[in-house]
Amino acid sequence: MEGKVIVITSGKGGVGKTTATSCIGAALALEGKRVAIVDMDIGLRNLDVVMGLENRIVFNIVDVVLERCKISQAAIRDRRIENLFLIPASQSDNKDVLTTSGVERVADQLRKEFDFIIMDSPAGIERGFENSIVGANEAIVICTPDVSAVRDADRVIGLLYSRSLTPKLIVNRIEPARVERGEMLSHEDVLEVLSIDLAGLVPMDEHVLISSNTGTPLVLQNESTAGQAFKRIARRLNGEADLPVQVPVCKMSMWNKISRTFGLKR
Amino acid sequence: MINFDCSAPVRLKGVGDGFWITIDPLHPEDVLKSEIDKLFKNLKHLAVNASVVIDVGDAKGHDDLIENIKSYLKTEFEVAKVSIPPEKRSIPTEQTRQRDLSKGWNRHKSDVLMLRGRVRSGQKIESKKHIVIAGDVNPGSEISAGGDIIILGKLTGKVHAGCPDDEKAIIFALEFKPTQVKIGKIAAAGIEEEFSAKPEYACVEDDGIVVKDYMKENPFRKMPWLEVI
Repeated sequence: MEGKVIVITSGKGGVGKTTATSCIGAALALEGKRVAIVDMDIGLRNLDVVMGLENRIVFNIVDVVLERCKISQAAIRDRRIENLFLIPASQSDNKDVLTTSGVERVADQLRKEFDFIIMDSPAGIERGFENSIVGANEAIVICTPDVSAVRDADRVIGLLYSRSLTPKLIVNRIEPARVERGEMLSHEDVLEVLSIDLAGLVPMDEHVLISSNTGTPLVLQNESTAGQAFKRIARRLNGEADLPVQVPVCKMSMWNKISRTFGLKR
Repeated sequence: MINFDCSAPVRLKGVGDGFWITIDPLHPEDVLKSEIDKLFKNLKHLAVNASVVIDVGDAKGHDDLIENIKSYLKTEFEVAKVSIPPEKRSIPTEQTRQRDLSKGWNRHKSDVLMLRGRVRSGQKIESKKHIVIAGDVNPGSEISAGGDIIILGKLTGKVHAGCPDDEKAIIFALEFKPTQVKIGKIAAAGIEEEFSAKPEYACVEDDGIVVKDYMKENPFRKMPWLEVI
């Protein structure tokens, strides 16, 4: 059976595309699938840093698309997780070196060799974005609960629809305590504007920063709430479509819980 | 149509594949013929087999004059066909009402663009007609209509009704929270209001845009008769 190319995109930068790509890829590999994660952010590569594989890069995606090497040469095998491969971006090239037809051809080749190909799209809606969605079978839009990220996600969803991709949504960096205080948009508010299927909700988690900096996979840490959320998203992508979406809640003390039940506290 | 500013007894212009001659029937026939002669001599071979329309304007009862010129043109310049302008049609108000009474809208071609679904950020909908959207309009989107804009949903985008200068147009939404509204040439910024989730509409009053509660001031209530828009 042919694999699936899933593109992870957002429009706005800094909402967690790269983190989500590495986490979902790693989680799918832990489920036993053969996974390739591809960094399409040519010129600003960082997926390799987040994965902790920077020192092993020889070839990159530009070399593959321009047929300077084979896919097997460019794909870096992760030593901690079996069946997880990274195809890094080029740091020295420009986004214009890739052509849509070239990316499409590589996507077709990747589909034959892997079960899942997760593509990390660059921010923006220009050439790099076009290149990363051209070979995709599915799309996931990442959005944080703030107004500007929602606006950009909305635009990207419109663009994906116009290319007959029906995206799913991940709301990242939810802070339940702030949502409860009304300081932050809730995932319902975001969904009301975007009205697409939800792939999952990811809470704000301080483990993300640490694991990105040290290059260790977040999904291997059981105490990371974000990692666990990404694991559930991966299970949903891997066929368990009816796995219920867990809404992040803030931890409350026993006394607060009791007083709330009796309506003493909001 | 006689142009009183122009004293020339005969004027000629090219229309489609032929010529349109506007003549002033108050001038004597031989003057007109000599004028036509001058103009058609300049055309030379272009006049051969051309179709010609003779327009005497609003004047009536010059059939024999037209017949004379017709035969003159055919013999002298070998034109193919000479005719008179087609009659213009106009529908008086009584007929419009009659039509509406007899369910005329069944045959009426609509001037409304109706869309269903969500208008997303970055999308721009432009039409010279009225626009009806069954769905929400997201922030970052733009709608521009020549007539009214009716949103059956939440309006949070930027809207321009009555584009370019119809100030009688209205903008209606079930939840009215636009970022910017413009009716005709008058623009206004949206105001942040958290509590209003009721049907409202914007219209122009005293050179300014006002937003009214639809339930309290229905803009259609004062219309006595059904009309097709």
